[in-house]
Amino acid sequence: MFHRSALARSLGLAEQLCTRPSITRIQASSSPLRNAAASFHQKSHAAQQATQTTTSSSISISSSAPPTPSTTPSTTTTASATQTTQQTKVPPPPQFTTPLKASESLLATLPHLAAQRPHFLTAHIHDRPYLITEGDSVRLPFLMAGVQPGDVLRLNRASVVGSREFSLKGAPFVDERLFECRVRVMGVDAEPLRVKEKTKRRNRHVQRVTSKHRYTLLRVMEVRVKGVEELKEEGVEVVKE
Amino acid sequence: MPVQGVKAVTTARNGVGAFILQCKRLDFHYCDWAGSSRGMVAFLKHKLPAIAKENPQIEIRVSPRPHRHPVIKGQYINGREKAICVRNLEPEQIVNKVSLLKEASGEKLKRIKKPVSSINESVRGIWSPFHGEYKGI
Amino acid sequence: MKRLQLLRWSSSALSARARAGVRLQQNIARGARYQTTVSPAAQSESGQLADEQSFPPQFSSNPQQSKYALPSPPVEAARESAKLAALHARLYLPSRLPLETLARSLVDTSADPNPNFNNESLATLGHDLLTYYTSEHLLCTYPRLPLTVIFAAMYAYVGPKTLTAMAKEWGVETAAAPGGEVDPGLLQFKRLLPGTELNAEGATMRPNAHQKSWRKSITSRIVYDNEFGEQPQTQAPVDAQGAQGVSFERANATFVRALMGSIYLHAGRPAAKRFFEQHFLSRHLNISELFNFSQPARDLSRLCARENFEPPVAKIISETGRKSRHPVFIVGIFSGKDKLGEAAGASLLEARSRAAVAALKGWYLYSPLNVRVPSSTEEEGAAPWKPVHVDLGEVIV
Repeated sequence: MFHRSALARSLGLAEQLCTRPSITRIQASSSPLRNAAASFHQKSHAAQQATQTTTSSSISISSSAPPTPSTTPSTTTTASATQTTQQTKVPPPPQFTTPLKASESLLATLPHLAAQRPHFLTAHIHDRPYLITEGDSVRLPFLMAGVQPGDVLRLNRASVVGSREFSLKGAPFVDERLFECRVRVMGVDAEPLRVKEKTKRRNRHVQRVTSKHRYTLLRVMEVRVKGVEELKEEGVEVVKE
Repeated sequence: MPVQGVKAVTTARNGVGAFILQCKRLDFHYCDWAGSSRGMVAFLKHKLPAIAKENPQIEIRVSPRPHRHPVIKGQYINGREKAICVRNLEPEQIVNKVSLLKEASGEKLKRIKKPVSSINESVRGIWSPFHGEYKGI
Repeated sequence: MKRLQLLRWSSSALSARARAGVRLQQNIARGARYQTTVSPAAQSESGQLADEQSFPPQFSSNPQQSKYALPSPPVEAARESAKLAALHARLYLPSRLPLETLARSLVDTSADPNPNFNNESLATLGHDLLTYYTSEHLLCTYPRLPLTVIFAAMYAYVGPKTLTAMAKEWGVETAAAPGGEVDPGLLQFKRLLPGTELNAEGATMRPNAHQKSWRKSITSRIVYDNEFGEQPQTQAPVDAQGAQGVSFERANATFVRALMGSIYLHAGRPAAKRFFEQHFLSRHLNISELFNFSQPARDLSRLCARENFEPPVAKIISETGRKSRHPVFIVGIFSGKDKLGEAAGASLLEARSRAAVAALKGWYLYSPLNVRVPSSTEEEGAAPWKPVHVDLGEVIV
């Protein structure tokens, strides 16, 4: 982990943005883009919708939970939303106060990058870089809290997005509205039991310290760079250089 | 014939499209008489129905195994099995063990040094000493 | 009352059609379908009629009768099977698809020859859907692929080996032997007897099929052979009881096809399409590994002549250690000023042919941006269809 204020200063970003690498969590449903942003470190489960959409296999585990009466008011967007007891609130959608600003040169060169497939992406989770492409499996070096197997996360912190010949480098990060990267939580893995033998001098006693860490497994579902048309639909502000 | 096709089989990438939970079956063994099964019996009575309802994709079997310690066994899609002895454990501890079995991939535990593993070709290509201008030393 | 097992009766009581086995009939019907312009629906109806004629009215299973007398699990057992419910939930199947249909799609023809209880009809539908969706995906995404490579890619996506692997990855288990008392969540089929020949070739509409040494052209493979460009395989010989065994691979593949068909029937076309995309298209296949060129340099020069490019010329770009034990040559193939391909090799000839392969693959693996397939216009409010790129096809040498 890192000091949030130091990072905020070094990145020149709003402190709130910099506190943790925020991973936007999307609602797992058949419609791909229903974003709801939340940092995964929040203890609250993202209240997933419980629409058993016809063949939506991207549905999260928690959504198959039985409908139980909940004390908190339902805040999910879907009609037949149900909440389990441990779910308290929906992650808020990302709030962008200003529209995406892109220079003319970026808009002129972005089609080259978007048209050349496949893409790679250096995603940052807890400030560690992971170079991923579509279909890769990632074993995070930590156990991610508040996720269940089958959940879909959206990674929004990337320093480099690129293809074979082009790459878009962020300073320090590429704006999250320029690309889409989704990963699925596959489960939890553990390492084999580690035994460290500790000895003291002139003493026959050997202390054996064991440790067995648990790690979260992810699978990259999608790495996509948005095209210029798509950005214009979403409302991009062209900045003159 | 100018070009011929090579027969191949596509490789599974679980989770890219559909997600299949790897734990397919949980077997619960308990003993009605022994004291080490007390927590297990309480778990089976009070906690298991809710867990079974939450995880419909896991087949659950409960069977007595007299004069033995209580055991939970997880069967996985890759054909492996994980067994955890839950003697003298409280029901809450058994819930943790069940979620451990549920979230596991069924693979043998390995020490992994690289976080990302990929079957795709390198996106940017492999560096070649024969290309690019000579920079000098 | 025991269900009538017509196929197990002596063959003298049966017409030739009923004895031929449904699978064989289906293969012949599929071959005939390629020959005519009649819609498949009309044909399947006529096929169904023939089935109904050959089977007198069946008696549904009776709760009083012994389960052991039945060839496959009774319909009521589907609601009580934990395995079946778990499989349904594991695949996130639509709730509109009932457990009974899922159980039926797990019963192979070899286990229950009665077409009202086995997965034959569902598998036929699912097979057609799978091949349709795969072929339109391949043809629209890679419009220039040679036909042999399309056959290989079709085999890779929906071939029996892939379907068997998928059934295994879904956690489908097989019953040791079929029967009415077996859990309906297990795949039920009768196994082959040891020593049965697996790859016996089946019926075909091809004229002069007995001439094994004759060359089979690609065009004739489209007309006469199946979607993988192979002659369809026949059914195993009939054993003493009159029932046929099938291989493990074939039973699993039939199940996956039947599941696709049942999703289409119960949940509709969008659900079937989504199921296909999530389970079949999401698998990893490197199409550039499916090519096997015999004379790439010749093909490339023919291609350049056809496309009115300048004739290809191979040039050394870089080399090292020409007189050493392991030289490396980098050869590029140029057409005028354009470099078509480039590769490294241990000899000049090897490097040249590798470079030609790279150039040919670059041509054949062209893929347009933002591809749509024809079936995407079937959805509500879809944008009107814009014609996709249709290529001249592979070079003919």
